[in-house]
Amino acid sequence: MPEATAETSRPERAFQRAPSWNGAVTHLHITPRAFLPMRAQESVELVAGRGIAGDRYMLGIEQGYYSEKPEEGRQVTLFESEALEAILRDYKVELLPEEHRRNITTRGVPLNWLVGKRFRIGPCLVEATRLSVPCRHIEQILDKQVFDAMVHRSGLNCRILVGGTVRVGDEIRPE
Amino acid sequence: MPQHITLVVRQAIPDGPGTRRIVLQDPDGWPLPRWKPGAHLDIHVPGIGHRAYSMCGDTARSDTWEIAVKRETHSRGGSAWVHDVLKEGDAVAASMPRCTFPIADGATRHVMVAGGIGVTPFLAMACEFERRGAEWALHVLSRGEPPCATALAGWAHTGRIRIHDTTKVARPSWAELLDGGPAPDLHAYCCGPQAMLDSFGEATAAWPTGTTSIEHFVPPTLPAAEGAKPYMLCRSPTGAEIEVEAGGSMLAALWELGAKVDASCEGGICGACEVRWLEGEPIHRDRVLSPERRRTHLMACVAQCASERLVVEA
Repeated sequence: MPEATAETSRPERAFQRAPSWNGAVTHLHITPRAFLPMRAQESVELVAGRGIAGDRYMLGIEQGYYSEKPEEGRQVTLFESEALEAILRDYKVELLPEEHRRNITTRGVPLNWLVGKRFRIGPCLVEATRLSVPCRHIEQILDKQVFDAMVHRSGLNCRILVGGTVRVGDEIRPE
Repeated sequence: MPQHITLVVRQAIPDGPGTRRIVLQDPDGWPLPRWKPGAHLDIHVPGIGHRAYSMCGDTARSDTWEIAVKRETHSRGGSAWVHDVLKEGDAVAASMPRCTFPIADGATRHVMVAGGIGVTPFLAMACEFERRGAEWALHVLSRGEPPCATALAGWAHTGRIRIHDTTKVARPSWAELLDGGPAPDLHAYCCGPQAMLDSFGEATAAWPTGTTSIEHFVPPTLPAAEGAKPYMLCRSPTGAEIEVEAGGSMLAALWELGAKVDASCEGGICGACEVRWLEGEPIHRDRVLSPERRRTHLMACVAQCASERLVVEA
């Protein structure tokens, strides 16, 4: 291994070379229409440029709460399992993977850092378009006071560049 | 955005004189949102608007919702539509269930008094009380056979239901109906015609606070912000005005005035419903506007008003 020069030992260079994150899919959920409970799946089919088969935000057959506000980047949504734990810790509110209403629950993925980035979910490639924001609608559905608890940790919206089948346990990694 | 749940009528069953029980499901049989005993649905009646009906099924059934509707002699259109138009297989648009008549969780004994079709929320509560192993009694006062007679018959074996046909027997006193209350751990509920509710209120006036409940379909309003007062909201481009009650939704009022104001979170955080204000004293309750921005703009979803008039540009 070459000896480090003064230049390469600078912190910013070290950061650029630092090992990246690596995570996994812990849960998958879809629902066909607004308001209805999310239902757990062992696998889901991501369709490039459209969404998840059977989910309410599949472009072309949208039936989601926000479907009248079309958004290309809402084809698949993600939520950190670490955020669920933090919400329980900070607010004493148990929010379950089927309750946050995003499609993919992750572990080990820094979602808030990924806006504008591309990353792999199993065989699929997605591009993060924006952070999700919480909505009072979810409190109406859950009858739980989770709006405040979800501020700044409400997940990530993505568009699907390469589709395929995503399964629980699949790796999530940078492109 | 869809503000309703699409359901289909799976069954429409006569159940007692002039009463029709409607069993609703998701079109594909997908599970429906959870609800609590005492909840009601707003059903969209085409050409008329929304009508609220108590849910009378069992909350343990995740795939069906039930309502029971009595044909009203002076129907405003809702009950006539349910009885004369609605049929099995029809699509129905409904709101999320809203529970404004919850079970008193702190009580161990529950006595319910229903007048006629006011029995509906208690049918859902009875299922929950049985699951909890709670002590409960239901008195149904009716003229002749009661509404939801079949559903009530299903509870006959418990001995907890008393039907008082007031065409045959004298109406029991409140002391008889209310199990000698007030008493520790006893909660009393009443749902029925306004006169019955008023009478119940008088009979239980001396009961400790929080030990009685009355069902009425007044939509919940937002709590008023400190200093908030009713005000006249004026839309500057058109001059159109509308009165908004303290705690009422400015956003809804703007929509009623025809303003095309966007909305998303409706909790003062997403910034979608920002509008410029020109006159008045808005009370800001959002979390997105800077102090500087608040001098000219407000978030209509959560803003209130401290002046008698507020002019906005929308």
